[in-house]
Amino acid sequence: MFDDVGLTGALGRSLLLVGVVGSLFGALASVVVARSNDRGVARLVPRFAWLSFAAALGAFAVMEYAMITRDFSLEYVQKVGSTATPPLYNFAAVWSALEGSLLMWVLVLAGYVVAVYHWLRRRREDALGNWAMAVMFIVSMFFFLLSFGPANPFAAGAPGVTDGPGPNPLLQNHILVMFHPPMLYMGYVGFTVPFAFAIGALITGRVGEGWLLATRRWTLISWGLLTFGIVLGSWWSYEVLGWGGVWAWDPVENASLLPWLTGTAYIHSVLVQERRGMLRVWNLSLLVATFSLTILGTFLTRSGILNSVHAFSESDIGPWLLTFFALIVVVSIGLIGWRGDRLHAPGSIDSPLSREGAFLANNVLFSVFAFIVLLGTVFPLVVEALQDRTIVVGEPFFDRLAIPIGLATLTIMAIAPVLPWRKASMETLSQRLFWPAWCGVAALAISVVVGATGLVPLATFGLAGFAAGSALRQVVLATRRQGLRGFLGRTNGGMIVHLGVILIAVGLAASNSYTKSQELTLVTGQVASFAGHTFELIDITEETTDRWIAVRAHVSLDGGQAYAPAITKYTKMGMNVGTPSVRTGAFSDIYLTLEPPVRQDSNTAKIKVFIKPMILWLWVGGFMMGLGTLLALFPGRRRRPTDPVSAPVPDSAAAS
Amino acid sequence: MKRRRVAPIVSALVGVVMAGLLVILITADPPQNADTFSPLLGQPAPAVVSTTLDDDAFDLARRKGSWVVLNFFNSTCVPCINEHDELLAFHAAQQNESEPAEMYTIINDDNDDAVREFFEKNDGEWDKVRDHDGAIAVSFGVARVPETWLIDPNGVVRTRIAGELTTGLLDEQLADLRRQFGS
Amino acid sequence: MNLRRASWLFMLVATVALLVVGVVRESGPLTQQDRIDAIAQRLACPTCSGESIYVSRASAAEALRAEIARQVAAGQRTDDEIIAYVEARFGGQVLLVPRATGLDALVWALPVAVLVAALAALTAAFVRWRRRDASLLSDDDRAIVAQALANNDD
Repeated sequence: MFDDVGLTGALGRSLLLVGVVGSLFGALASVVVARSNDRGVARLVPRFAWLSFAAALGAFAVMEYAMITRDFSLEYVQKVGSTATPPLYNFAAVWSALEGSLLMWVLVLAGYVVAVYHWLRRRREDALGNWAMAVMFIVSMFFFLLSFGPANPFAAGAPGVTDGPGPNPLLQNHILVMFHPPMLYMGYVGFTVPFAFAIGALITGRVGEGWLLATRRWTLISWGLLTFGIVLGSWWSYEVLGWGGVWAWDPVENASLLPWLTGTAYIHSVLVQERRGMLRVWNLSLLVATFSLTILGTFLTRSGILNSVHAFSESDIGPWLLTFFALIVVVSIGLIGWRGDRLHAPGSIDSPLSREGAFLANNVLFSVFAFIVLLGTVFPLVVEALQDRTIVVGEPFFDRLAIPIGLATLTIMAIAPVLPWRKASMETLSQRLFWPAWCGVAALAISVVVGATGLVPLATFGLAGFAAGSALRQVVLATRRQGLRGFLGRTNGGMIVHLGVILIAVGLAASNSYTKSQELTLVTGQVASFAGHTFELIDITEETTDRWIAVRAHVSLDGGQAYAPAITKYTKMGMNVGTPSVRTGAFSDIYLTLEPPVRQDSNTAKIKVFIKPMILWLWVGGFMMGLGTLLALFPGRRRRPTDPVSAPVPDSAAAS
Repeated sequence: MKRRRVAPIVSALVGVVMAGLLVILITADPPQNADTFSPLLGQPAPAVVSTTLDDDAFDLARRKGSWVVLNFFNSTCVPCINEHDELLAFHAAQQNESEPAEMYTIINDDNDDAVREFFEKNDGEWDKVRDHDGAIAVSFGVARVPETWLIDPNGVVRTRIAGELTTGLLDEQLADLRRQFGS
Repeated sequence: MNLRRASWLFMLVATVALLVVGVVRESGPLTQQDRIDAIAQRLACPTCSGESIYVSRASAAEALRAEIARQVAAGQRTDDEIIAYVEARFGGQVLLVPRATGLDALVWALPVAVLVAALAALTAAFVRWRRRDASLLSDDDRAIVAQALANNDD
């Protein structure tokens, strides 16, 4: 089993085996406790949890140690390690390819197992919690197995190798490689927790008593981390990839978006469950779907069956992941089919024009959008299977369908916060939406005045103003009542998140509709102009290190500061990477890329200039979403049971 | 009150869709490259008008009357380098034929000096044709190198081989074609 | 008509007017570069992993962009014809926008179908809830309530 891997490899692999065994016994022990409440066995559960976590941490540490000491006896270090990589990127190189990134998954998951156990400390005797622990252990065991078996990072490499190519050049030139993958994983893997509780609820046949509502917090945290991870990824792709875009509807990006969409639907519909006790089975289904999508997404991106710029190398883990996905689907659908009707709530929703109705509309929109993204991603496989020909479903498909969904979402965001529970009258709406509507008209007027055109972007700006007015109204009312505490709590935090989403919608609409670009051939000493800006080539420099050779064109923008787009050739991999240079502004970015061919000793350079409006708003919006999530995690104002939740009924005199 | 049966029905429906999805995912193969098909097969070859590295004019239409081999090439592409010996052997064998096939290299995304240097080091006495802006590659639908195309004496495209040439493949293909079309 | 209702009416009119202004003054005929970019965004680079030739910096993408620029400058083909020209040479794998015919049309039709189905299911649910709530009240109950209200008027 241990071939000639040397001490490091053997140690790492043994730790993984410890993790497999620890998770397995943890699962068994939890099931025993769930069924018989045996206190003796119950004491073993935390030991297995900590054992697995220690094993995962140890294996990860061994991997880092091997990477840092450039231990080329391991195949993985041969693949992504290099003597020339700087320490920071070398540390991050561990998660730059398949086996190492799975190791990170194992670590994060083992951490969540321990965290969930600690969180359950006051409810140790409840069978539901123990079943949830069992599910967590089983998932953890699966990933330990993957890492121990087909995706083994501690496999022996070819003998006699003393250096390697280092990680992919795109992962070596920006600090975001330290943050984007770990954050994404913490969010992605975090969805295992609500899934475990959903399965626990289905098995025990109990959905009420606050279980699902308590796990809402776990879902919100994972969702927040995933949101942040996705925004960081977009920012990275904008800064690094050099085509000025933030989202490409690439299969790997879609894989991270799918659970985010169903997670968003869940965060909203769980409020209906809390207030009215309804939609219980639907919420369980959403949680199951979210987790299943994380596994499906992992399969799609790591099995090699889909073309992607993010693609990890092909490996054998495809069939394993697919089997696990099938298992989850079968078990979940079976449990829901068996228990669903018993858990069904007897209530009803009175009127579509109510807070509940708005959340239902939100759920429909986000579920349909998730379906669209999934369909577009797997459709090439369907066509291949049925008609044996290759097609590509690219950005235009997703963009076109995302537009009506985006507009509908903005509309709901505008109306929902003012809707009371149960039933709303037109009178209430017209009163509460008055000032937000004026915000919308003002936003539309401003857009038209500054020169915006086009039905879709203008509709977006108007609706964005409307929705922002609604969100601000809620926050203003709350702060008026409670001062600074008015920013806390899930409604108010949620409004901040909505504001972030609105900023992102505006940024996307503007940059997708109004980007201008032009290729300019610059000659040193001459000034070229485009779109009201001037560009002058100062000179072309070349810088050589032992990892790369970078040719940079220094361009003075508007007679001022010089920006230097570059083409970097990574010598060990023979890969050319274009690096853009961006001047960020409040309302538009000026984005420069250097076009090949370029030579250091020439006096001409071909650059491409993009004028991209409102890009900064995307990052500010993303930040606000993160901030809002944080605020939403604080407990809000404690509502007295006797407070009215519907709107006051207006006098008949008002109806004129 | 009727016993509610919604959950099993909906679950069954979802299960069927999932089963379909699973079947598709199980049978999916990683994307492969189409090797020898092209919509140009059996059609007159696209016009190719360019210059050679020796700065002579080149016009494919004027090569009618003999079999023409076009090899799309780049000096840094590893399979191109690997198949070079095979091309040399083919070219030498053709010189012994009564009507030798003509060999031309179409330079793909490379600079002239690098190509000259390669052929000086590795031999190859046939003409190398420039491809300004990649227009020739686009008109043939060539995205990756190496690719080798066989065109008959009437200017009709007969064979497309994508990827590295295996030993004797080109001789075999041309021999078959000669038998089939008689020349 | 009270002030609020008048204001809503004004807002509606203003919105429509502003939208009309914005749509009508949309920039005139596209420049050649715009046309080239639009076509490039509909075609995939044949050697890349699903990137469009507008985005990709690969040599095959550059060559295709140059070809499209040539054809747009020649002005003899429409956008769809240029795309058909490229598709004829490189195969269906270069089309980024799925066709609207045959099996490919499913990818456009299914989302619409699912949306319609979801809305239909919601409507059915609301109807069922309303009917059930209405049927929970028997006529006797209504009579009792009516009588109690009548008594209260005394």
